[in-house]
Amino acid sequence: MIKRLGILNAAVHFILWMAALYFFVRVGAGNLKLSFGGVLYADALSAFLIFTTATINFAAALFSVSFIATDLILGKITERKALYYYLLFNLFAAAMFLVPLINNLGGLWVAIELTTLISSFLVGFYNTRHSVEAAWKYLIICSVGITLALFGAILFTFALSTATGIKSLNWTDLLAAAKMLNPNIVRIAFIFILVGYGTKAGLAPMHTWLPDAHSQAVSPVSAMLSGVLLKCSLYAILRYGMVVAQCCGAPFYTNLMLVFGLLSLIIACIFIITQRDLKRLLAYSSIEHLGLIAIGVGLNSPLALFGALLHLFNHAVSKALMFFCAGRISQVYGTHEMKKITGVSRVLPVTGFAMLVGFFALIGFPPCSIFISEFYLVSAAFIGGSYFVGVLLLGLLAVIGAALLYHFGKLLFGKPPQPAISSVEPYGNWLAYGFLLFFIIGLGIFIPSVLQQGLNAAAAILRGE
Amino acid sequence: MAWLCLFAILLITAETALVSRFPALLRNFRYQSLCLALLVFLAAWREGSAELYIIAFLLFSLKVLLIPHLFDILIKRIGSSDHLGLFLNAQVSLFLVFILGMIAWFFSSFVVSASAYLDQLTLGVACFVMLTGVFLMVSRIKALAQVIGLLIMENGVFLAATIIPGGMPFFIEIALFFDILVSVMIFGLFIYRINAIFTHIDVSKLSGLRG
Repeated sequence: MIKRLGILNAAVHFILWMAALYFFVRVGAGNLKLSFGGVLYADALSAFLIFTTATINFAAALFSVSFIATDLILGKITERKALYYYLLFNLFAAAMFLVPLINNLGGLWVAIELTTLISSFLVGFYNTRHSVEAAWKYLIICSVGITLALFGAILFTFALSTATGIKSLNWTDLLAAAKMLNPNIVRIAFIFILVGYGTKAGLAPMHTWLPDAHSQAVSPVSAMLSGVLLKCSLYAILRYGMVVAQCCGAPFYTNLMLVFGLLSLIIACIFIITQRDLKRLLAYSSIEHLGLIAIGVGLNSPLALFGALLHLFNHAVSKALMFFCAGRISQVYGTHEMKKITGVSRVLPVTGFAMLVGFFALIGFPPCSIFISEFYLVSAAFIGGSYFVGVLLLGLLAVIGAALLYHFGKLLFGKPPQPAISSVEPYGNWLAYGFLLFFIIGLGIFIPSVLQQGLNAAAAILRGE
Repeated sequence: MAWLCLFAILLITAETALVSRFPALLRNFRYQSLCLALLVFLAAWREGSAELYIIAFLLFSLKVLLIPHLFDILIKRIGSSDHLGLFLNAQVSLFLVFILGMIAWFFSSFVVSASAYLDQLTLGVACFVMLTGVFLMVSRIKALAQVIGLLIMENGVFLAATIIPGGMPFFIEIALFFDILVSVMIFGLFIYRINAIFTHIDVSKLSGLRG
């Protein structure tokens, strides 16, 4: 019964993915700006985030089918809990779809807070000491962050109402009046927004909840947390950033993004080298990639923004694949401690292959799609004259690549544990891996014109053009 | 009257740094929320706004009555001791809170011009309340104290919102109240789980996940 429910859930998310694709083609590639009664608003940027969300949700729904069924067989969860999982999964997905569609910044805050509240149950799902601890830290740290963000939103509204007399929290109103706002208030307000939403987006040094939550959550949900949730918060920062750039000039906003981006990359690099837990390793790698996206935004040229947005999608699909593989491995090996996991390629050939490709994708090896987006980002740094950023980026990426090679080499090709465990790969996993690999390899070879137009439109919006 | 409310909030907030038992902290939170509700009620009366009356009523019923009541039930059910567990003693806490007050005042005089004196004062007190909330969260050991610290922080944000002419859009305020209620319930649930699994609610001992 649970398996059938899982298949139904995947079918629903497939329909949603098709709808999101259509929406992206119409709104993103067509560069439309839709407004529904002032409450909802969509442009190329929101359409792109919705498409990313739908892609990861569908893949997670596919992977959940056998993952949850296996957890049930292993006795880790009860049937009732499995039903509860699908309920939370869909509530979480709905909250994430809501984030890019809301025009009102107060509403955006509520939607992001909702994602935290719902996903906290999915982080503490197994009800063990570690998972409850992770869920508590996640709830507390993100709630403090998001309260600071609310204060930032209030300061923005205060700036708007004192400058123009308009009583509104709509992003479109704020952007239209951006040049009239008091720059001092806007600067301070943005720092609150950046620290607040940055906490949820996993930017260092506010990232401390992230490795705990990602490592303890149910694996398909870890993929959703890393692939989409972090980007939803980043999206909020970007929306405010556009107002700040119009009001006080771009450098204030872009320099802050550069600093936080580089800091995230450095901290992630240190922790990746010393990591012992597979899922925590992937979580720190998420901080690294979020840092890369922030650097792209900080460089602020059309090429850098195109690269950053493309990287947002590429990271989402690659990291989702890796979390699925990690979930499958921990189910079969009964642990995610890396020293106990060896010889994955022989024990789980399909998962091992997917993980190998995922690993090449994460270190930015051609022909994987992350190579293309990282290439754009590094080129943009050198073309824009930011040589220091470019060199630092290359250096850190090389160190992280070497550390990942060390970890995954042992994991994939070591001697399998005795007595040997063997397991047949379920169809749902084949499909989930295949779906994500299609994007990872496909976008590394060829970027369709629809995606290119959509990303160019979104990058132009980010530059306030 | 608004001045009086602000002064009362200031005193109550400073006093929270001194309390070491949970019922006292909850009582302080209740009084602080009452002053905040009164402040919104006064604004509603001054402006004759029905929306503000509703918000004052919601503040009163949620933060003065319902949420403290939920915490009372939770404390009885988990049977934890009343002590908050102080990382820092009362004297040091009070001194640090005094410094936070200076920072808050400096901040508000930077954001709001001196001509709008009441706004400047309100924002100053609001920041002070927020900073004290954060301070309580980091300097108290029990999980319950962290949640109250967060709620105190939210009170500060609400107070800051009163400086916006006409307040925040109505439906956003309603959504915020709903959100606070839901989050308090979820926090309560997790405290209950922590107590069931760890047999204590001492967050300084939640250190199984590192690195």
